[in-house]
Amino acid sequence: MRINKNLFVIIMIILGFLAGCNDKSAQTENPVKGHETKEPTPVPAAESKPAYGDMIIIGSIGDASVLLPVLASDSASGDINGLIYNGLVRYDRDINLIGELAEKWEISEDKLTIRFFLKKDVKWHDGKPFTSKDVEYTYKVYVDPKTPTAYSTDFLRVKEFRVLDDYTLEVVYEKPYAPALGSWGQGMLPRHLLEGVDITESPLKRNPVGTGPYRFKDWTTGEKIILDSFHDYFDGRPYIDRVMTRIIPDLATMFLELKALSLDQMGLTPLQYVRQTDTKWFKDNFNKYKYLGFGYSYLGYNLQDWKFRDQRVRQALTTAINRESIVQGVLLGLGTVTDTPYKPDSFWYNQNVTKFPYDPEKAKEMLAEAGWKDTDGDGILDKDGKPFEFTIITNHGNDIRKNAATIIQRDLKKVGVEVKIRVIEWAAFLKNFINKRNFEACLLGWGIGVDPNQIDIWNSKKTGENELNFVNFQNPEVDRLLDLGASTYDKEERKKYYDRFQEIIAEEQPYTFLFVQYSLPTINSRFHGIEPAPIGIGYNFVKWYVPKALQKYTIQP
Amino acid sequence: MFLNDDFVRRMRRNGMAMAGLGIVVVLFCVAIFANQLSPYPPSHIDTTNILAPPTWSHPLGTDVLGRDVLSRMIHGAGVSLSVGFVAVGISTLIGMILGAVSGYYGGLMDRIVMRFVDVMLCFPSFFLILAVIAFVGPSIWNIMIVIGVTSWMGVARLVRAEFLSIRERDFVQAAISQGARDGRIIFLHILPNALAPVLVAATLGIASAVLIESGLSFLGIGVQPPDPSWGNMLTEGKDNIEIAWWLSVYPGMAILTTVMGYNMLGEGIRDSLDPRLRR
Repeated sequence: MRINKNLFVIIMIILGFLAGCNDKSAQTENPVKGHETKEPTPVPAAESKPAYGDMIIIGSIGDASVLLPVLASDSASGDINGLIYNGLVRYDRDINLIGELAEKWEISEDKLTIRFFLKKDVKWHDGKPFTSKDVEYTYKVYVDPKTPTAYSTDFLRVKEFRVLDDYTLEVVYEKPYAPALGSWGQGMLPRHLLEGVDITESPLKRNPVGTGPYRFKDWTTGEKIILDSFHDYFDGRPYIDRVMTRIIPDLATMFLELKALSLDQMGLTPLQYVRQTDTKWFKDNFNKYKYLGFGYSYLGYNLQDWKFRDQRVRQALTTAINRESIVQGVLLGLGTVTDTPYKPDSFWYNQNVTKFPYDPEKAKEMLAEAGWKDTDGDGILDKDGKPFEFTIITNHGNDIRKNAATIIQRDLKKVGVEVKIRVIEWAAFLKNFINKRNFEACLLGWGIGVDPNQIDIWNSKKTGENELNFVNFQNPEVDRLLDLGASTYDKEERKKYYDRFQEIIAEEQPYTFLFVQYSLPTINSRFHGIEPAPIGIGYNFVKWYVPKALQKYTIQP
Repeated sequence: MFLNDDFVRRMRRNGMAMAGLGIVVVLFCVAIFANQLSPYPPSHIDTTNILAPPTWSHPLGTDVLGRDVLSRMIHGAGVSLSVGFVAVGISTLIGMILGAVSGYYGGLMDRIVMRFVDVMLCFPSFFLILAVIAFVGPSIWNIMIVIGVTSWMGVARLVRAEFLSIRERDFVQAAISQGARDGRIIFLHILPNALAPVLVAATLGIASAVLIESGLSFLGIGVQPPDPSWGNMLTEGKDNIEIAWWLSVYPGMAILTTVMGYNMLGEGIRDSLDPRLRR
């Protein structure tokens, strides 16, 4: 899991780890039926066959930070790394695990050992063969305490790592660990270039070498990153010759570039999707896609703050917030209210948890029960002589969060709670406020993984500095349920644990769960082969193509 | 003193100055009676009616959260004016003290102060303000103070120049010969005679402070939401300029009118005080 800085602009090229749950709502607004309807000049059917060539230019609001998947935890780097590196396994269009660098695998009866058989024809971008030694090296880097990585948890569960031969390896776990297989989707690193080098000092940070469909070409900081197709890719040469990611930190500017046709793909804001892309010209030149995104937004309460210790107070605050009006007003309906930390359309989501629908009168009663009354008549509730005031902090550059916070401020004011909003630049926001626990309430988002495991966020012990349970949620039963869930392979049995976990979370309300947004990517209509699926659109990127007659750019390698 | 009959008569004849004065007076009234004038509370959210074009119920339209643009602009007037006045108050105070000390004592003191002024003037003021705000954090009070402490140099130079000439006049020499203390001479004898150019500089300074505040808010480091300010209203307008022109045009016009008003008033005062323009 990573903290999702800008849920709505994640351009899901490759979903890999961030990929989500069972999504039935994926759909395209303008399904491509044939060229005649999409292109000004009719193209004969024979000409619409897949062809190599052309370039896709993708807009990104943030620059990548580091092009080594073990070190990168931001979505901009993740998107690029997804094209450069492969894992042993990946999720297919219907969110099932399939082999990527692994040909197949065997899981032992006792669920403790996984044996991977690697594909034999895989080459690194520099021509060297990929072997199980590379997997071993990658594993060692992830579990090395000196490596500053956010993804070590899953690998630390491995008790023993055995290389059987160049293309066979075995990993042994202490006890059954359900997320184990999926965790091997993490990008594999080239041993022959990294071994013996301090990974944080490696030149590969800015000059990566992987096994993926695209190889690194050029990176101009803050401007663009260019990747070229890898002709020896084990799954066949990708059709699109070049991927250029242009960094444009402002979404309005990005949209202008898109309309000037100097961008081929970007994530739209709800306003752009609803109000600015309904013209004939836009529909002729771009396809819009819409599917429930793999992340949710929430208002998290610092449970160490005396005001939020009482569960009734948190339930009352949720009751006082009109979440439906946030979805309608801020997301323009392009989202859905959620009550638990899972995607509402996924297998793991529990519909039958306690819900706190919007009801300001009831919220006032609940607050009064918890001792918050307006005794001095100033319109603000108070208890023990202290008024109910707090500050919501959120990160700069995300208008959806800022506007959601403004609506929350209004709603809470109605029940007599005074809220201030503070918008802080992202780096300082994490360093000085979240990591130091220096906040009362925060408006943030989490990515939702495919696997339901959420130990990192809710376990009572994950409360140290830089750890993810920064609201300090403590519940022994949740700890137990999450451990049971992680060590159970049977899907139905596993769901029981997570259902109960969601009931407790919904009852305790450490967060007010707000909403899940739709991802709204738009792509120039000259790109063919895009097939929206439960997992989104990026899963078959290497199969996207531009028919010869429509190709716009000629790439000189 | 300079506020004599001649000055008032010439101000009255100066159409531009009176227009500027009119704009300023109207802005003051709007800022003072903001609560009575605005049809809605400035942070009244109506998510069912977002980005509505101007109609009778919302004369200047609504913004991305369905808030009434007119009401927000009316409340923004108070923000702009208070920033302008407090910032200029601070800068004038600093400028007068340093200019007076420098001009009155002369010598080494004069050289130190004037070189310091030169140093301060070397920095492009907007970027200096940006840098300082990045350190102290954005808030309306910080903005006022930072604008104040980074824009006093012009006043200091003006006051110094006035002091240099007034110091040599007979009435000052008379006061010195009677043994009056320095403080008394500076504040009671010289300063009142040096106020005319300061008044002009302060009026023009308000215009520039309003502009700087708008610029900072536009960049997101000025007045923080949900407090309305013309600058941050413009930012919101910029993102939606193709579908909601009223979000950018009206706050933009408000900034233009205010800055123009203060400039016209300032120029008018200067012309009315200038003996060379006397007919």
